[in-house]
Amino acid sequence: MSERIGFYICHCGINIAYRVRVEEIAAYASTFPGVVIARDYLFMCSDPGQELIETDIKKHDLTRVVVASCSPRMHEKTFRSACARGGLNPYYAFHMVCVREHGSWVTEDEDEATQKARVLVRAGLKRVSFQESLIPSEFSVNSNTLVVGGGIAGMQAAIDIASSGFKAYLVEKEPTVGGHMLQYDKAFPTLDCTACIGTPKMVAVGQDKNVELKSYCEVEDVAGFVGNFSVTVNNKARYIKTNCTGCGDCSKVCPVDFPNEWDVNTQMRKAIYLSFPQAVPVRYVIDKKSPAPCRTSCPAGTNVQGYVQMVKIGNYQQALNIIMERLPLPGVLGRVCPHPCEIDCRRGLVDSPVSIRDLKRFAADNANLADVPLAEVKEIDKKIAVIGSGPAGLTVAYYLRRKGFAVSIFESMEQPGGMLRTGIPDYRLPPAILDQEIDYILSTGVELKTGVALGRDFTLASLKDDGFEAIFLGIGAHVPVKMNIENEDVDGVLDAVLFLRKENLERAGSAKKRVVVIGGGNVAMDAARVAVRSGANFVSVVYRRSLKEMPADHEEIEGAREEGIEFINLAGPKKIVMDGDRLVGIECIKNELGPADDSGRRRPVPVEGSEFLIECDMIIPAIGQRVETAPVLKDTPFDLTAWGTFIVDPDTMETSEPGVFAAGDAVTGPATVVEAIAGGHKVVTAIGRYLNREMALFEEERKQPKIAPLKNEFMPIPEDAQLMARAKSAFVDPSERKFSFDEVDLGLCEESAQREAQKCINCSGCCECKLCVDQCKAGAIDHDMKDERQVIDVGSIIIATGFDPLDPTPMLQYGYGKYANVFTNLEFERLSNATGPTLGKLLKRDLKDPMVFTDPPKSVAILHCIGSRDINFHEYCSRTCCMYALKYAHLLKDKCGHDTLVYNFYIDMRCFGKGYEEFYKKVQSEGVRMIRGKVGLITEDESGMLTVLAEDTLSNKMVEIEVEMAILCTAMEPRSNAGDVMRKFGIGIGSDGFFQEEHPKLAPVSTPSSGVFLAGACQGPKDIPDTVAQAKGAAAECLALSAKGEVEVPPMISFIDPDVCVGCQVCIGLCPYTAIEFDQFNLVSEVNYAVCKGCGSCAGHCPSGAAKVRHFTDRQVFAEIDGLLLN
Amino acid sequence: MSEFEPKIVGFFCNWCTFTAADLAGTSRLSYPSNIKIIRMMCSGMVDPKYVLKAFLNGADGVLIGGCWPGDCHYINGNLKARRRVAMLTEILKEYGIDEQRFWLRWIAASEGTMLRDVANEMTDKLKQLGPSPFNLSSNRKDLTAMGGL
Repeated sequence: MSERIGFYICHCGINIAYRVRVEEIAAYASTFPGVVIARDYLFMCSDPGQELIETDIKKHDLTRVVVASCSPRMHEKTFRSACARGGLNPYYAFHMVCVREHGSWVTEDEDEATQKARVLVRAGLKRVSFQESLIPSEFSVNSNTLVVGGGIAGMQAAIDIASSGFKAYLVEKEPTVGGHMLQYDKAFPTLDCTACIGTPKMVAVGQDKNVELKSYCEVEDVAGFVGNFSVTVNNKARYIKTNCTGCGDCSKVCPVDFPNEWDVNTQMRKAIYLSFPQAVPVRYVIDKKSPAPCRTSCPAGTNVQGYVQMVKIGNYQQALNIIMERLPLPGVLGRVCPHPCEIDCRRGLVDSPVSIRDLKRFAADNANLADVPLAEVKEIDKKIAVIGSGPAGLTVAYYLRRKGFAVSIFESMEQPGGMLRTGIPDYRLPPAILDQEIDYILSTGVELKTGVALGRDFTLASLKDDGFEAIFLGIGAHVPVKMNIENEDVDGVLDAVLFLRKENLERAGSAKKRVVVIGGGNVAMDAARVAVRSGANFVSVVYRRSLKEMPADHEEIEGAREEGIEFINLAGPKKIVMDGDRLVGIECIKNELGPADDSGRRRPVPVEGSEFLIECDMIIPAIGQRVETAPVLKDTPFDLTAWGTFIVDPDTMETSEPGVFAAGDAVTGPATVVEAIAGGHKVVTAIGRYLNREMALFEEERKQPKIAPLKNEFMPIPEDAQLMARAKSAFVDPSERKFSFDEVDLGLCEESAQREAQKCINCSGCCECKLCVDQCKAGAIDHDMKDERQVIDVGSIIIATGFDPLDPTPMLQYGYGKYANVFTNLEFERLSNATGPTLGKLLKRDLKDPMVFTDPPKSVAILHCIGSRDINFHEYCSRTCCMYALKYAHLLKDKCGHDTLVYNFYIDMRCFGKGYEEFYKKVQSEGVRMIRGKVGLITEDESGMLTVLAEDTLSNKMVEIEVEMAILCTAMEPRSNAGDVMRKFGIGIGSDGFFQEEHPKLAPVSTPSSGVFLAGACQGPKDIPDTVAQAKGAAAECLALSAKGEVEVPPMISFIDPDVCVGCQVCIGLCPYTAIEFDQFNLVSEVNYAVCKGCGSCAGHCPSGAAKVRHFTDRQVFAEIDGLLLN
Repeated sequence: MSEFEPKIVGFFCNWCTFTAADLAGTSRLSYPSNIKIIRMMCSGMVDPKYVLKAFLNGADGVLIGGCWPGDCHYINGNLKARRRVAMLTEILKEYGIDEQRFWLRWIAASEGTMLRDVANEMTDKLKQLGPSPFNLSSNRKDLTAMGGL
């Protein structure tokens, strides 16, 4: 049957006809093969226009219809329906040609526009004959609605949906619903209190059984299509369970303060907080960020921020309790820890890192170990042997004991402590401190046997025979490493380890008069400084690299220097010089630095012929230690590294011998105390699991995918942070301390410790001191809560994500952030609000402290259009500022007295809404000065008085007015994350950055994504009445979908011709919706029509041409191209 | 002889560039009528055959308009278009079609002005380049002008 085509071109009033000669086009179309009727008509989209099509179809037996008019995005649906009413399948019969948006409106010349229309019409007439019948699929609609954003728009939409009996999920990313409206004080023009009209809505969404309120939640992913969305939301960990009563006892004890976002930083809140008293839900929330760098950089994972905060508030016992969670030797580490935490401390970005180690020592010195609470545990009848009582051994013993195991320590020396006792000199670590802390560990029920050596008094086998089920080897590294030079073994050469042990334990005074120490580590410094104290007249340290590369702590090097010790850098020992059997000196060779070695330090290279002699009578090499493994190996053949340390599993610390674990220097080689403790903690976990037969847990953990590296989302560094000098503890004068083993570092005094602790910027938010946990009577606090993902099925979505207020800081001419009494509108709203920082009083800011408010202003300037109607920021008008500026003027007159001078600097007054103009008149009658002109500059004098400079464009004069306060009426901006939201929901953003509605007049709440609607200021600046109206409109759209219960999905989706498909399966990989499956039986790919969205990724690529998108087939597109390019 | 008027076929994504063309219309931004638009649902739907067909039928230039990377209505169709265009450009070169005749541009729905600018720019460029070697009608005219045929 040959086609019978009807062609219609629309005048669109004159919109098309003023450029395109429509009669000429109709006449041209009538000559086209198959066209039986060609008409032009004034308004094709009008009822008579549509009827024209319907009657022509019947009268002329039309099979195809082409309409040339506006964009198909506008009226394609209209004409398709007309064709359907005429009895034709609309997809088969109808094609629309755009001659308005793409023709008359963009072409200036009439001939050109007519010619362009002719070509476009030709292409449409060519195409239409190849179109095929399509039938849209119908899907049922899930009647639930998701509302994103809990401001007034979201709350209203949710309430409307709920009141019709359908379910609404209301997702709000903040801990409370309410949004900007609830931050305001009064609402113009009626001046009703926003809390009075807003809180009932908040309560309603909190209580309505048809509203599921999901506060502190964010939408992560949206899948599916209209009627059948599947939305993944992330319930952010709130750390407070639902049984919170909102009593607020927790925040009274919280030591951590931050500016309250709800009050736009005009007052402080705690880390555990409720945004404002009427918050819904009335459930506190704990603000936790990424773990603080001090905590993550501590090998033992100590909660540094926690104890620093406890020192700040003077709760030294809780500080000690927090330290004891991870460090069994607080006083020891407070003295000798190399404090890697201080390197990462972010306070260093302001002035200098917090003196964390000194604060730890302060806490340890000022609290009582006996008062550290121990959880009651059941005694476990399993015996564990800990060999060695150094830091690793003590850690393992103490924490396993805290779990309830029976622990025995075996120590080869007469006194416990290992290297802490024998290696660290008393002037750094007084033995009394060590004794006190070891005694405490023992007091928890740990058994200690001293003077018993492995391999001499007992063996691993004998321990097992005695019923020990797990053994820990913490035997340290006590054997000196040799220098391998001539005469090394003569009398007068004594290794540092042995020298220090002798001096520490016996106080032998064994140093000779002229001592040379070889090495540059902490052991070398200790040996040199001990030598000074035990009889040496002059001590030199010989180190092979330069001072910069020296591994010893800076403070140790400084301490040594102060005590008169000489440093000879870039020199290495060559041989020990003897006179007979008397040591007389050491021959050294000078070095220069070559290229860097594996450790990243530059390698020392000896300079030929540069040998020199240092006269001395004692040489103390301090170049390293190794593990004494001989007694252990006698018994059991352990696997060792090339360095002679134990090979252990990195997670379980288990040696090659099952049930025997090792950590500390015996595994790492000589290292720090805190690293030994870190290893000890791993062993505690492992032995616990080993004895409970749970070692498989480690395997499972290893199989788990590695968690993506933690995002470093720390609390921002406060901009007003004052520079503070780092607290320094008092040191005993070098001349005094030189001859004494008494402690050199006297620690911090209370005042400087607390001041130092105040420097902490609380990187991770909550410091996890857990004081709140003890305080909460409801037991609602759970610090271990995790984010939870949840999938919600909904049929429709309302986006009501609101706006951001513009930050005026970059507009330097207004001095916001610099001048105390320049406020933003939102700050002013918070001042005026009864729950704000001043409890509703309008007060000036103190010039020194931005959070202190003084007295009411006598004169105020209100600046309109800050960032709105400004080509440098936003071209649009924010629509609300004129009105709230008037409201502010009224409130100032009302609250601060009628003699208060209020100046409004405006460009144009836009009082367009119901009752707005009347309000304007009323405010004017109250004596508010209106000045037409934009403020160009604000300056401040020493007294804090502001001078506002503007042009009065009505009198054509410059005005300079002194005021005590200025308020900037800032623009409403699109949310900073609007781009993310756009992508998640598949909607568009307009040139102003707000979400784009489908049609500015006729589809103001719809979006290009069917089933996704817009409400409120996310679509554009608007006031509360307009927002509520739009929310109700969006709710109506959702309810229409839910009530109808089914939805048609456009049939323009892919299909794969099984006769043509060769089964290459390329399309399967290309499909972004995994809508294509492979039919194993017929060996062809198949489209799942319910999932396909018709993007055409498959059709665009299919090498055999089997995959096509319906309504966009090759024949159809080729015909259109033919039509466009025909000569 | 009147100035050469290039013929440009635009394959525009329905969600961005096509809408931008609508916006250009509603904003009354005028641009040369040389460009004629074919509506596609996604730039990733543009089969290389369509481009070849357009050139074979005498188009002097082809413009594919898609969403900005990351903004594709269908997740990543625009990125597939980008790969396809890279390959197709090489193939077209083999047939003597200069790469400056085949454009891929990201034009978001809100960028009506950008659409106008691209249309202007491309028309100007093609006027400089002259007719495509496959534009037989132009060739014929040229030959006629030279006294041949």
